[in-house]
Amino acid sequence: MTDGGHRSRPEAGGATRVVRGRRFRIGGIVRFVFIGIYVTFLLLPLYWMAVTSIKAQDDQLADPPVWFPTDPTMTNFADALNRFNGWKGLENSLIIALVTTMLAVALGTTAAYSMARYRTGGKHLAFWFLSQRLMPPIAVIIPVFLLYSRYSEEWLGFSLIDTRIGLILLYTVFALPFTVWMMYAYFRQMPAELEEAALVDGCSRLQALLKIAWPLAAPGIVSAAAFAFIFSWTEFLFAQVLGRDEAVTVPVALAGMITFFQGNLYGQASALTMVSLIPAVLLGILVQKHLVRGLTLGAVKG
Amino acid sequence: MSDEVFHDPEVSQEDYLSGLRMARRDFLVKSGLAAAAVAAAPLWLQSEQAAAAIKASTGVGAVRDPIAANAVAAAKKHSGFSMGRINEAGPQALDDKNFSGPLWEKLTGVKTNLTEAPFAQIRTKIIAESLAKSGALDSVEVSPAWIPDFADQGVILPIDSLVKKNKAEKTVADLHPLYRALARYKGKTWGFFDDGDVWALYYRKDIFSNAKLKSAYKAKFKRELRVPRGWDEFNQVAQFITDQMAPKVYGTGMGRALGNPGNQFYFFQQFRSNGGRFFNPQTMKAEISNAIAVKTMNQILLQNKASPPGVEKLDFVSGWGLWLQGKTAMIMAWPPTGRISENISQRDKAFSFLPKSQIVGKVGYSRVPGQNGEHAGAFIKCVMATSENQEAAYLYNQWATSPSISLQRVMLPYTLRDPYRISHYRSPAYKKLWKGADQYLITLNEAANDAVLDLSMSGAGDYANALDRAMTSMYAGKDIKEALDEAAREWDSITNKLGVAKQRASYANFLTYPGATSKNTVRKRGQAVTV
Amino acid sequence: MDRHIRWLLVTPAILIVFALTIFPLGFSLWVAFVRYDFTLGPEHPWVGLDNFVENWKDPVWRASLWRTAWFSVSMVAIELVLGMLLALAMLRPFRGRRALMTLFVIPLFISPVVVGGFFDLFVRRPYGVANQLASWVWPGTVTIDFSIDSPWLYIVLIIADVWQWTPFMFIIILAGLAAIPDTLYEAAELDGAKPRQSFLFVTLPLVLPVVLIAVTFRLIDAAKLFDIIFSLTRGGPGTDTYTTSYYLYQQGFEFFHLGQGTAGAWMFMIMLTFVSYWLVRRLLKPLEEAS
Repeated sequence: MTDGGHRSRPEAGGATRVVRGRRFRIGGIVRFVFIGIYVTFLLLPLYWMAVTSIKAQDDQLADPPVWFPTDPTMTNFADALNRFNGWKGLENSLIIALVTTMLAVALGTTAAYSMARYRTGGKHLAFWFLSQRLMPPIAVIIPVFLLYSRYSEEWLGFSLIDTRIGLILLYTVFALPFTVWMMYAYFRQMPAELEEAALVDGCSRLQALLKIAWPLAAPGIVSAAAFAFIFSWTEFLFAQVLGRDEAVTVPVALAGMITFFQGNLYGQASALTMVSLIPAVLLGILVQKHLVRGLTLGAVKG
Repeated sequence: MSDEVFHDPEVSQEDYLSGLRMARRDFLVKSGLAAAAVAAAPLWLQSEQAAAAIKASTGVGAVRDPIAANAVAAAKKHSGFSMGRINEAGPQALDDKNFSGPLWEKLTGVKTNLTEAPFAQIRTKIIAESLAKSGALDSVEVSPAWIPDFADQGVILPIDSLVKKNKAEKTVADLHPLYRALARYKGKTWGFFDDGDVWALYYRKDIFSNAKLKSAYKAKFKRELRVPRGWDEFNQVAQFITDQMAPKVYGTGMGRALGNPGNQFYFFQQFRSNGGRFFNPQTMKAEISNAIAVKTMNQILLQNKASPPGVEKLDFVSGWGLWLQGKTAMIMAWPPTGRISENISQRDKAFSFLPKSQIVGKVGYSRVPGQNGEHAGAFIKCVMATSENQEAAYLYNQWATSPSISLQRVMLPYTLRDPYRISHYRSPAYKKLWKGADQYLITLNEAANDAVLDLSMSGAGDYANALDRAMTSMYAGKDIKEALDEAAREWDSITNKLGVAKQRASYANFLTYPGATSKNTVRKRGQAVTV
Repeated sequence: MDRHIRWLLVTPAILIVFALTIFPLGFSLWVAFVRYDFTLGPEHPWVGLDNFVENWKDPVWRASLWRTAWFSVSMVAIELVLGMLLALAMLRPFRGRRALMTLFVIPLFISPVVVGGFFDLFVRRPYGVANQLASWVWPGTVTIDFSIDSPWLYIVLIIADVWQWTPFMFIIILAGLAAIPDTLYEAAELDGAKPRQSFLFVTLPLVLPVVLIAVTFRLIDAAKLFDIIFSLTRGGPGTDTYTTSYYLYQQGFEFFHLGQGTAGAWMFMIMLTFVSYWLVRRLLKPLEEAS
């Protein structure tokens, strides 16, 4: 059944804004007005970013501001990608973010399942995971730098500084608290009956996890994955400090363009930002597809 | 070995200079071609500069620059080495990526691995690499203000013995005396100076020669309108121009944003010009909240009044933007101002963040009012102590800052490095860059003769930051004496934290530099250069 | 069998976190108690609590704590309300909902440094757009400088953060709402519950755990607010927009007073720990009870 199939009764669905019989129209109008205002709020800076990326140099610093450039140009894109580490940043960021996401989701979901179903480690393990996020970066940034540049070579034989794998491992550690907690709450909320039924039918715990729990937790997994990806895609400070010239990521390339001492390359920075949004849009499509599916299929039947 | 050079085939210099723009219907095609050209050209060497640089490094006879040539010859044995460098991200890094790096590799076989970082993080990155002893950095760009700490903590190496070994003493002698002193600390030389960042006053000749304006000024103030020679006169002239011509033109308008470029420069400049000093040399108590300081801040606030609205948050580049669009009549800033006013820099796409100049040919140059311009920032090429090939790093620095190579580098359109050698100031090639370039060079030289230096001692960054913040709070309306007192208290606590005795010694060392105070400039020491 | 499997499942996660954090945390703890300052030399003698005290002596540190607290609370509160309303509004299908959801997600993918940079461009005079926009809705020309004048300055920062992070709340709450089985609503309906009641008694309790997670994580991250300050105001004017993270970054990283910066970071972390522990206890209770 597609959208609306289960929503046969408009009063259900838990949205107070939605449908109240005869007051349907007002509720609907309020909803759309609200969404409209939010969309405008959302689009304004995005539009400005987009238009800045195609403005010629004379339009960048213009008073009054130029909303519709008369001579749009693509040179900002060429510049950002070729001369200011754009391509390199995109490639590195993509690889790092994808691998981090897979690692964080895989490790996080399995850990969360164990913690949810068996209470492994109890409160303390759960809180330990959370505490990894509490540390302000400054406390650990220099030690991590030393670890990566000096000690990893001494202890492991290879240096992690300025490498993709170095950033992947670090980002996974940062993303795990979130994936663990997200899935933990999800699994706790999910009734165990289906898995019990599967076990009774002769599946092993692992099969129950893979065949029953994972698919049902799909919306949660998708959002956890999305956030793991987002975090890796946008992280700036550690990437800047732990990278030199090889492992340059998009935020580092961008920051180099807009924190410059004698000039801010807004045109190029917005061009690179626009390009970096392409994976964003693709992921957004993926995310909302699963979310919408979750919305309409519901979860467990009686 | 052919000197194959890649030009951007899409836009010729003439087109750019005459202000032709692409027709809308062609933009996709041309942009596509431009993108392809830029993508296909891994090396983007300026043809004339590259050719001249190669001749100087490898030629014979008159074109040969022995400093450059010796460095190249000595570095050939390091061929294959990957030299780690660090430079500021953005346009500053283009020199390494598009010119010096590829050229050096071509000449000697030594590769460059460039780390780019925002300016605010360069110092920390160098320190961190030094702590890690990883050998990742060899040749580094160091701001003069960092030299005392870096030298004391063994981050960089003294290069005197290497200079002697490579017979490069002449390269030091060719530096303007102000810049020569900046690389020296505790009796040793710590690097090769590479950027003449002295402030000058840039003004609109056409506005100052406007007849109506002149007679109105004379009527009001009973004297001739002229390029101001004192700070109060500067305010008077600026306010007058604003009153007469705003909002089309304002008297002045310089970036006052926090850290961009950094308000401490304005204060350092004017405060010392007015006779102030930073510390009491015996007690090391900060003297930045005395009557002279209050007077200085009042003058600076009056400058804001004569500026376009929003000047308190104006970042440095937006200030340039206003200037280029003809909206301000006078600014005090770094030397690239002269070049961008003539559209020299805007020829390069890297400078597309700046509008094209509307004031070509209308700009005059002079020393700042009060004569003592700030020497603000600058870079010195140093050798990291933890480098695994110190000689290779040293030779690159010697080559890049040699008279001939550095001349080519300061003439690159996208460069942000400014002339700093006596040979630069006298260079016939540079004078040909635009009509008025000779005056520009003379002014830069005179400005260096009278310049005052950035505070260069232990903890310089902390002091500068406290002052910068205090000034932005004053722009936002905080009471002057209160804000200055608070800044002075912060200075004192910084001094205490670092150790009063240590700071006293460090400050005493700073005072030995020419330009540490307005009474002690290069000119006052009798070392002024005439070009 | 069960007993072994359950530990097997958590071990990889524990291992990777432990391996990468044990050295940095240990080193960092050591640095907090010794003198570690680039300008003061390579020796690191034990100084006890001096580094910690050094922070408290600085009025900027104290002010930043207070400012961080109310910044993060206001940002998260606004994001929570907005995110919840959006999730409820988007719950029912309508034409274009898919496209809108894709659009909503976009701000999350832009690095906060860049978001700050562009909001700065937006509000900065004379080239920024904010004043022009304001004068369209307000009679007369608007001469407020949104990035310097109080209270606008703080409003701009909050708006920038809200712009970026509301989608975070939105997605999480939506995922939570999506997980509520229809059967529960149907049952409530059969029992005669009105929409508002079913919202209060069915929706809210079931979505609360997810909401609490979102709030906890968001609050912790907002308390560490750094990137937007770095690119929008650099802590200025003066020290008016210093957050604790920015202050520590400047002390420990830019000036390399690492001992003091690290000590401050540990103190801050302890404060955050108390807050999050309280939140988590509230969170774990309903989860324990949920079945």
